Amino acid sequence: MSDIEVTITVNGAKHCLEVGPKERLLDTLRERLHLTGTKEGCGVGECGACTVILDGEAVHSCLVLTAQINGSKVLTVEGLEVDGRLHPLQEAFIKHHAVQCGFCTPGMLMSAKALLDKNPNPTREEIKTAIEGNLCRCTGYEQIIEAIESVAKEFRGVSS
Amino acid sequence: MIDYEFLKAHSLNEALDYLGSYENVKVIAGGTDILVDIRKENERAKSLKYLLDISKLKELKFIEGRKDCMAIGALSTHTMLVESAVINKHFPLLVSAAKTIGSTQIRNRGTVGGNINNASPAADLLPPLIALKAHVKLRSAKGEREVLIDEFLAGPYRTNRQSGEIMTEVCVPLLGEGYFMNFQKIGRRKAMNIARLNLAIVLGINDGAIFDSRVVPGAATAYPMRFRKVEEAISGKDIKDIDLAEIGELASDEMISATGVRWSTPYKRIALASLVKRALETIFMEAKADE
Repeated sequence: MSDIEVTITVNGAKHCLEVGPKERLLDTLRERLHLTGTKEGCGVGECGACTVILDGEAVHSCLVLTAQINGSKVLTVEGLEVDGRLHPLQEAFIKHHAVQCGFCTPGMLMSAKALLDKNPNPTREEIKTAIEGNLCRCTGYEQIIEAIESVAKEFRGVSS
Repeated sequence: MIDYEFLKAHSLNEALDYLGSYENVKVIAGGTDILVDIRKENERAKSLKYLLDISKLKELKFIEGRKDCMAIGALSTHTMLVESAVINKHFPLLVSAAKTIGSTQIRNRGTVGGNINNASPAADLLPPLIALKAHVKLRSAKGEREVLIDEFLAGPYRTNRQSGEIMTEVCVPLLGEGYFMNFQKIGRRKAMNIARLNLAIVLGINDGAIFDSRVVPGAATAYPMRFRKVEEAISGKDIKDIDLAEIGELASDEMISATGVRWSTPYKRIALASLVKRALETIFMEAKADE
């Protein structure tokens, strides 16, 4: 089985890789680049634990073949932190107790980040829609929604 | 374990070349159906030898108003439908349906062409597209042909697409004055929801009288199709003379005459009747408000 040459930018760093036809973006991130923040839950696009941002949009990294995305930009949860400082969403998740076991958290954060990048001022309904594909089995969703809302409010405060 | 080789098309012509020279090729775009089929080793993916990736063909990713129709490129995502101002304006039915597909992640990746070609009996875009009398364009090395969506479907997960063909776009004819439309769906939960039943109704109403009726339930029959008996029963009638409960029952009868009594019939008989009633009720209210 021949390998396919792919160049992708992950969290700002360029990687030239030779991947197999079956390698999922999720496998590339975890096994090759050792970015294990992205989790595998169901492997069939139902739980959202593997959510990353691909060219600006939240996607399931378990339903993308790395061979498909030559030239693309990927942002994972590891890319949220800048110079040792947590992203406001990460701070908010801690403050609002939106993390319990933590398995869904990276996916939730990436879905929330994709939403706020597109729409910095979302309604509660829009927040719910953005994370409807992310399952959390511990906290319920209330604290997670509150955390995302608080960042949106903070943003409004800054910009007004 | 399903083994396949990966082919990447950099242009539509290259994709057509690959399709013409290889056998057992499946086309992949968003991958939200096919990668699940491969992972679950579904029967539908077993014969697969080559996966042909067309996901980066920008020329198939567009929504474009033409003189008499709205053309939607096969690689347009569900998110593009939801966010498109022109689709919202002309075909709110398609927006309602697209919004119910999967989750944000699925809608960002899954494509209109994929939803049509996968041809699931529960596909959410099929009933609206049939009710809107849309047609698809298929390109092959030999040329191009157009097929109405309801003639394109050949069975559950089966279409009349030939092995050398790629779907390039779907064209939805613009509706004239007096048209109303509604989409209904029920499933086990709100998100990540494969329809237990869905329904698209498009009606032309003038002065309270129905001059055009299109009623298309999904997941009710082997593949979505127009329910002609229901359409005939309301066609030409004044909306205030229509007995909604009776038309709902009629839809259930038409479903059962197509499928026979199945394990799901006791549920779907009542559910479909309610959906039809609900959709008609909503449309009639809008029509009255519009008078």
